[in-house]
Amino acid sequence: MLDRHVEDIAHLMRRAGFGLTGLELESHAGRSYDEILEDVLHPERFPAADDDIYDRYQGTVDEHEVHSAGLWIHRMVHTQRPLEEKIALFWHHVFATGMSKGEHRHSSNRQIDMFRSVGLGNFRTILLELSMDPAMLYWLDNNENHKDQPNENYGRELLELFSMGVGHYSEQDIKMAARAFTGWTFKQPIPQYTQGSYPAEFVFIESDHDDSEKTFLGETGRFNGQDIIDIIVKQPATARFICRHLYNFFVADEPQVPAWNQLPPGDPQAIDIMTQAFKDSDGEIRAVLRVMFSSDFFKQAKLRRVKSPAELVAGVLKLVGTEPVPASDITRYSAATTFMGQILYDPPSVEGWHTGHEWIDGGTLTERVNFAVDELADKNRIGVRKIIEALETQGESLSPSELVDRGAMLIGALHLDSVTRRALIEDVSVDGDLSLSSMGDSANASDRIVSLLQSLVSCREYQFA
Amino acid sequence: MSRPHALLRAGFPFLKTLGMRRVTNHPTDVAVASDDTIYVLNRHALGGHVTALPFVDPGENWDQYLPRMGPDGWGDGEFIWPVSMVLDEDQTLFISDEELNRITLIDREGAFISKWGEPGDGDGELKGPAGIAIDRDSYVYVADALNHRVQKFTKQGKFVMSWGGIGQGDGQFNMPWGICVDENNDVYVADWRNDRIQKFDCEGKFLFSLGMSGTAKGEFQRPGGVDVDAHGDIYVADTGNDRVQQFDQNGRYLEQFFGDATLSDMSRSYLMTNAQSLRLREMSELEPQKRFRSPRAVRVDDKGRMFVADFKSYRVQVYQKEAIPLDASQIAQVPRSPTLFVN
Amino acid sequence: MALNADSKNPVLVVVQLTGGNDFMNTIVPYSSGVYHDSRPTVRVSEDEIIPIDNELGFYSKAAPLKDLYDQGKMAIVQGVGYPDSNRSHFRGMDIVHTCEPDAVGTEGWVAKAVRSLDPSKKNVLTCVNIGRGLPRAMAAPGVTVTSVGNLDKYGLMTGLNEQSQRQRAIDLFEKTYVPVMTEGHEGVVMDYLAQTGRDVLEGADRLSSVPAGYSSAREYPDTAIGQSLRDIARIHLANMGTRIFYASHGGYDYHSNQVPTHAKLMNELSMAISTFMDDLGDHGAREEVVILVFTEFGRRIKDNGSGTDHGSGGGSYIIGDRVKGGLYADYPSLDPNHWEDGEDLAHTIDFRGVYATVLEQWLSIEAVPIVGGKFEQIHPFN
Repeated sequence: MLDRHVEDIAHLMRRAGFGLTGLELESHAGRSYDEILEDVLHPERFPAADDDIYDRYQGTVDEHEVHSAGLWIHRMVHTQRPLEEKIALFWHHVFATGMSKGEHRHSSNRQIDMFRSVGLGNFRTILLELSMDPAMLYWLDNNENHKDQPNENYGRELLELFSMGVGHYSEQDIKMAARAFTGWTFKQPIPQYTQGSYPAEFVFIESDHDDSEKTFLGETGRFNGQDIIDIIVKQPATARFICRHLYNFFVADEPQVPAWNQLPPGDPQAIDIMTQAFKDSDGEIRAVLRVMFSSDFFKQAKLRRVKSPAELVAGVLKLVGTEPVPASDITRYSAATTFMGQILYDPPSVEGWHTGHEWIDGGTLTERVNFAVDELADKNRIGVRKIIEALETQGESLSPSELVDRGAMLIGALHLDSVTRRALIEDVSVDGDLSLSSMGDSANASDRIVSLLQSLVSCREYQFA
Repeated sequence: MSRPHALLRAGFPFLKTLGMRRVTNHPTDVAVASDDTIYVLNRHALGGHVTALPFVDPGENWDQYLPRMGPDGWGDGEFIWPVSMVLDEDQTLFISDEELNRITLIDREGAFISKWGEPGDGDGELKGPAGIAIDRDSYVYVADALNHRVQKFTKQGKFVMSWGGIGQGDGQFNMPWGICVDENNDVYVADWRNDRIQKFDCEGKFLFSLGMSGTAKGEFQRPGGVDVDAHGDIYVADTGNDRVQQFDQNGRYLEQFFGDATLSDMSRSYLMTNAQSLRLREMSELEPQKRFRSPRAVRVDDKGRMFVADFKSYRVQVYQKEAIPLDASQIAQVPRSPTLFVN
Repeated sequence: MALNADSKNPVLVVVQLTGGNDFMNTIVPYSSGVYHDSRPTVRVSEDEIIPIDNELGFYSKAAPLKDLYDQGKMAIVQGVGYPDSNRSHFRGMDIVHTCEPDAVGTEGWVAKAVRSLDPSKKNVLTCVNIGRGLPRAMAAPGVTVTSVGNLDKYGLMTGLNEQSQRQRAIDLFEKTYVPVMTEGHEGVVMDYLAQTGRDVLEGADRLSSVPAGYSSAREYPDTAIGQSLRDIARIHLANMGTRIFYASHGGYDYHSNQVPTHAKLMNELSMAISTFMDDLGDHGAREEVVILVFTEFGRRIKDNGSGTDHGSGGGSYIIGDRVKGGLYADYPSLDPNHWEDGEDLAHTIDFRGVYATVLEQWLSIEAVPIVGGKFEQIHPFN
C-alpha cells in the first residue's frame, strides 16, 4: 500500500511535470510537499536544458516538425525544470497555433520558447508577447489586419479563446479590438529558397495602425493593442476563464472549452479560490499555481485527468530511461503521440485539442497500450534495469501481492483500483512467489518483472495523469 | 615542407558560394580532391549523403549534383549521423558516423570500400566519433566525443593509442568535435564543450591551448571545426558564435569571418523558376543571408582557399587567402615593444 | 443518376497521393509548346507518351491505368483545385480533407460521410484506414474509424512475440477493463475506458479472421501502396461491412530528382490499382467498388532544374466497373496569360464538386452538408 505523502508527491509531479519514477520519489520522500512545490514553481533554480547539445546532435530539426516535436518530448523527459516544459505545453493547448499553415518552423519553435520563458509570469505579459508573436500573428491573420481593411480573426479569438470566453463581450468589442491591433505584424523573412528559412520578427507599422477613438468593454480612448490587453486582464471573466483552463489542464478534466459558457465548472469553489489568487496577484500565473497545487482539491483530484499523448509518451520514456544526448530516432516519440491523436506543434484548430476521455478511442487506446508495452520490453533499458535491481534488493522472495504493490510503487506510485489489483495478483500468482535469491534464476525473475511492468502500464489507471 | 619565416598578409577576400538547399542540405564537412572536386558531407535528421560539386558550377542542370553517394541507413556505405570527412592521398573518403559508431571508407564514386569501429569505451571502441584526420604517416585520429578522448588508429582501424578523458585540465576534453593534423604531424582538437582548441604532438603530448568561453575575439562558443594551413595559421569554426576565426601558428588572433555569401550559380538558376520566392526576397531584408549560421567545419586547401560548411544555410562559403611568404632577409626582427614611430 | 442496382452496398476506396502529384506529368499535354518549353528538365518525352488524343497522353509508367482507361473504367478529372490554392502541404491537405479553404476546419469529409452511412455507429469497421494515425479527412468527434497498420498483426500487445505471452496479456487486459464501482466522473471515465478496451478486443477478433479467409491468385507488388490495396481487398472480401477504405501513397513532393521519383511512383500506383482491380474481378467483387484518387495540389508549370515546386490545378481519378471512362472538366489552360500568379495552372473544377459527385452519385448520401455547399458535379457513373 502506498504512503500518502509519496502519493501526493507523485501526483504533483505527474501534473506539474511528466512524472517521477518510484526510485526518484523515494529520494524525495524525506522532503516536505511545500518544499518540493517551491522548487517546482521556480524552474530557474535548476540548470536549463543543454540546448548546445541538442543543436549539435539534432541541428537539423528544422527539416520537419516531427523532429522539433520529437526533440520537445526529449526535453520533457530530461528537463530539470519540468514545470517550464509543462507550462509551455499548457499555453500550447490554450493558444493553439498550428505550424501547418505556413510550415515556418522557426516561428513555431520560438513561440514555444516564448511560452517557456514567460509562461509562469504575469498574464498581461503573456498576452502581450502572444500578440507580438509572428507564429500567432500569421496563424490568426493579423498580418492581414490593415487600417483600411481590418481582419477580425485575432481580435475575436483573443477574446473568445485566449482570455474571457464567449458571453462577456459584444461583436462591437471584437471589431474594436481588431482595429486596435492593426499594424501589429511581422517583417517578411527571407524565403527558404535556396538557403534555408529565417526567423520572422515582430514589427509595429504605425502607418497601418488605426489610431482613432475606440470604445472597448465600456472604456473609450485611442486604444492600441497594449491598451486592449490592459482592459482584458482587468476583467473578472478573464481571471475565471484562465483559471478554469489551468484547472482543466492541471487538476481535473472539464468539458470541452466550447461548452464552458453553458456548463458550470465541476468544482466551482476551486475556480473561486484560484480566481481570487489571480486577482490578488494581478494575474501572476505562478501565484495561482501555488494556491492550486497546495490545495486539498488538487490533492484529492488523483485519477481525475486522462493523460494527453505527450504526457503518456514522456512519462513512459522517463520510466524506461533514455540518454541525455537525444537519440537519432526521436521522431519515434512524435510519431507515437501522432498515432495517439496529438501532433505537437499542430493542434487541429485554434480551439486546441479535445481533452479528457476524448483522447481515447479504440485506435488511440491501442496505440497507448502498445507503445508503453513495447518500450518496457527491453530489460536492458536504464530505467527498467534500475527497477529490476531495486526489486532484487528486497530480500529472498516476494509474494504475488508484494510484487504487484512494489511494482506499482516503482513505476511512479500508481494507485490501483481494487479490481485491477486483484486481477494482477491473480495473474502473477500463476507463477508463484518471485524468488530473488537464486541468481541462476535471475533471467526468469527479470522476465517476470518486465511482464508485470508491462501489465501495469497497460491498465486503465496508467491512462490517468 | 617548411613554413615561411613570415607573411605579407595581403587580404582574405570572399571567393564564392557553392551549393544550395536540396543539393547541400546541412553541410557538416567539406573535402577537396586533387582534381578540384569539392566533396560536401550533408547531414539529415536521420541520414546523410556526400555531394560532389565542381569548383566551377555551371549553374544549370544542378540535377546532376544531387547527393547520391551514401544513402540513409545502417548498411555498408550508408549513414545515419555522419559528422566529418577526410580524403587520404589515395583519394579515399573516410567518414565518421556518430550514431553508427564507425568510420566508413568509400571511393570517390561512393562505392563502399570498408568500415571499422565498434561501440564501447574500451581501447579502439567508439562512442559518438566526430572529427577525423590523417597524418603524414597515415595514422588516423578520431575525436571520440562521448568518450571524451582522441584515439589514434592505422588506416585499417587498428588501435594505436589514445589520450584524454573528461575534464577541463590540459589534455582533457569535454565532447571534442573537430580535429586536424598539420604538416609537422601536430594534432589540433576542437574541445567543443570546453570552448577551446588544444594542440598536441602526434603522441598526445599537450603543447598549448587556445581560447576560452565567450564572444570576444579569440574566444569561442562551442567550436566545432579546426584546420591548419601550410603557413601554420589555425582556423576555427566558432559554431555557436556563427563565425570563423583565424590565428597564427602561435595562437595569436588574426581575423574573423562572419560570412559574405552570394547566391551560388545553381541558386540563381533555381530562383529564376520561382516567381513567389523572387517576390518574397524583394520584400525581405536580405542582409542576414550572407552570414554564417552554425558553421560546423572549416577546411583550407593548398591553394589557400578556405571552405566553410555553413550548416544552417545549406551551402559552402569559400574565401581566398592572399599572402606572400617572406624569408628572414625580407622582414625586420621582432622588436621588444610596439612603436608609434613611422618612417 | 445511376444507382447501384446490385444488392451489395457501394464501397468507396480513397487513395491519397501525398506530397502533390504532378498532374501535368501524369496526363501530359505532350503536343503543347508551352509544356515543352516550361519543363526542360522534367518533361515527359514523346516516346514515353501513350496518347489519349493528339493533345493529351498518359505517362508510359502509368500504362496499367491507360488500360483501365481504354476499357472505359477510368474517369480523369482534369484541373481539380479551389480558389487561391494553398501551397503548404499541411494546410493544403487540411483544406482538401475538411473542405474548408477559408477557415481551419475540424471535421473531415470522409468522417462526415461515415456519420451519414452509419449514424448509430453499429459497425466499428464502417470506415477502415490502412495506416497508423488518422488523416484529418477521417477525423471528427464521435466518429469511429478503424486504423489498421498491419492487418496480419493487428490489435493489442502486438509487440509481445510469443503467442502464449501475448494471449496471457490480452486475457489480463480483458479482466482489468471491466466496470468499476467508483462513483462520479472518475468512474464514468473508467467505465468508458473499459468499454473502449473491449471494443478494441472485439474489432481485433473480427479482423484477425480476415487473413485466413483470403486466397488470391494475384501477386500484389511489394510496395507500400500495393500492400495497402491488398489489405483493402482482404477486408472487403471478408464482408466486414466496410463502406469506405482509405489508403495513402507518399513521396510525391519531388522538388528535386523528379524524373526517376515520379517514374517509380507512377509505376507503383498503377500496378497496385491494376492488381487490385484484377483481384476483385477474380472474386466477383468489382462491381461494388469505386476508387477515388486525389492529391493536395498540382505542381508548378515550370520546372526548377531538377523537379517542380508546389503549384495548383491537380487531377483526380475515379476508377471502377461502374465508371463511365473519359476526360472530365477541362484541362487547365497552358496559355501563359491564364496562369495563376504568373506560374500556376488555374483550376477548372472545384475539388468539393468531385467529392460531391462520389458522395451523391456513388454512395447516395447528401453532399451539401459534407462538402459545405453546392458545387458543380461531373457525371462519371453508368
